[in-house]
Amino acid sequence: MADLRINLAGIQSPNPFWLASAPPTNSGYQVQRAFEAGWGGAVWKTLGDPILNVSSRFAAVSFNGQRVAGFNNIELITDRPLDINLKEIYETKKRFPNHAIIASLMVEPKQEKWHEIVKRVEDVGVDGLELNFGCPHGMAERGMGSASGQVPALVERQTYWAKEVAKTPVIVKLTPNITDITATAEAACNGGADAISMINTINSLMGVDLDSWNTIPHVAGKGAHGGYCGPAVKPIALNMVAECARHPHINVPISGIGGISNWKDAVEFMLMGATGVQICTAAMHHGFRIVEDMIDGLSNYLDSKGIAAVSEIIGKSVPKYSDWGNLDLNYNIVAKINTDVCINCNKCHIACEDTSHQCIDRLTDANGMSFLKVREEDCVGCNLCSIVCPVDGAIDMVEAVREMPPMTWNERQAALSGAAILKADVTK
Amino acid sequence: MSDYQQFLDERDKIDFFIQKGYRINGVKEHLNGATVEFINPKGNVFETLVIGTANARKYFTSLLLKQNHT
Ligand SMILES: Cc1cc2nc3c(=O)[nH]c(=O)nc-3n(C[C@H](O)[C@H](O)[C@H](O)COP(=O)(O)O)c2cc1C
Ligand code: SF4
Ligand code: SF4
Repeated sequence: MADLRINLAGIQSPNPFWLASAPPTNSGYQVQRAFEAGWGGAVWKTLGDPILNVSSRFAAVSFNGQRVAGFNNIELITDRPLDINLKEIYETKKRFPNHAIIASLMVEPKQEKWHEIVKRVEDVGVDGLELNFGCPHGMAERGMGSASGQVPALVERQTYWAKEVAKTPVIVKLTPNITDITATAEAACNGGADAISMINTINSLMGVDLDSWNTIPHVAGKGAHGGYCGPAVKPIALNMVAECARHPHINVPISGIGGISNWKDAVEFMLMGATGVQICTAAMHHGFRIVEDMIDGLSNYLDSKGIAAVSEIIGKSVPKYSDWGNLDLNYNIVAKINTDVCINCNKCHIACEDTSHQCIDRLTDANGMSFLKVREEDCVGCNLCSIVCPVDGAIDMVEAVREMPPMTWNERQAALSGAAILKADVTK
Repeated sequence: MSDYQQFLDERDKIDFFIQKGYRINGVKEHLNGATVEFINPKGNVFETLVIGTANARKYFTSLLLKQNHT
């Protein structure tokens, strides 16, 4: 069995699966049960001045029968007294010395507040700290969470204050509610962060009830924006992790979060540069025991690839992620329909005819049976037909014979700027 | 004419000059594609083509890259 242990900026855990700071890590009872189930680490529900919550708090999107395709909450940080949380952290760490316990922290942007809470939580033996600059609602209105996390200077300064007194590694958790997450990630690094984690939740309004016209969820007929997470946000989170991983000035480990539901998602985040992952919605949907499948799946995957340790896959796909201008314009793929697998539903034909390049023809064979065929010379390889096709294996996207050597947009522009630019507009 | 036919047509016109030893001398990109100026081996005859299809625009820049490397 492959070695699943990770070391994230000095924080060690028996596997890369951590529970993210959220309801699953609200108490010692829960975190201890999670560790018994197999989770390698837990980021405790964010600590700070205990808050007051509203009811209700959650909503979810069901999409075509898939429940919890996306999840939304308007919950704040912990509502429990700090002393109780600290006592439970201490007890949990004593019972599970080899598991990672990270304290998530959020206080007002004041130096003394950060110093105080960092010292208090480190005294009970946490393995690391995670500064929550991400919560998009409630706390932001008080100048904390994403209100701090959207301003690089505030991220840098508060990270610096935490680092002034911290003895354990400091992870900075970033908000996705920003145009370019590398700006705040770099600010965290400049402030001395030992690692960064992303993403927290994305500003969202889940819906409006068509009868009552209330927001979903609503609190006595009123709503406020919440934070979106779960499977729907995975592509957004994965891109943010990858953008940070390939950024030349961001050289700290990354803890990947956002929509991770199974071991495959976890592998993708690790290949794109995450040292480990954190999970919230999947645990809330299926319970702590989903980690068993995650551990088995990851372990089997590594064994099947002959990889001895999970740490070997970290960042292996990062060099393959680049800017659009570095992609080969002369690389072509085309769709091929396998008529023996195709069920003749016509979805691909309609998709290509109505919204792509009109290159799937309906033909008739010698027996009078109709079949579909792609006119490869007109196919632009957009993938749409294979995306809408309901049958696995009915459409293959295959590489077309290369007619020209590789040429990127950037190379093209360089060549054009080398050629004389015609003075006169001779288009007419 | 299909996009592909139009591409073949434009590619043939480009190839016609290249086969006669012409080189790409200048390019102007505009809303209708690109106007490409060719110059003959002696350097005294200029010819221009307006290239509209995406594939032919890839094609002549690939030739330009090749030309720059020879
Ligand atoms: C109900 C709920 C409460 C959350 N509370 C916190 C919190 O207190 N601190 C924090 O850093 N993140 C909090 N989060 C965000 C999660 O830690 C995580 O970043 C986010 O849900 C994305 O991961 P997921 O797609 O696996 O759920 C919360 C998320 C949910 C759903
Ligand atoms: S890949 Fe795109 S262009 Fe090609 S056949 Fe499919 S839908 Fe049409
Ligand atoms: S969408 Fe798939 S199954 Fe349906 S006609 Fe096209 S290839 Fe066949």
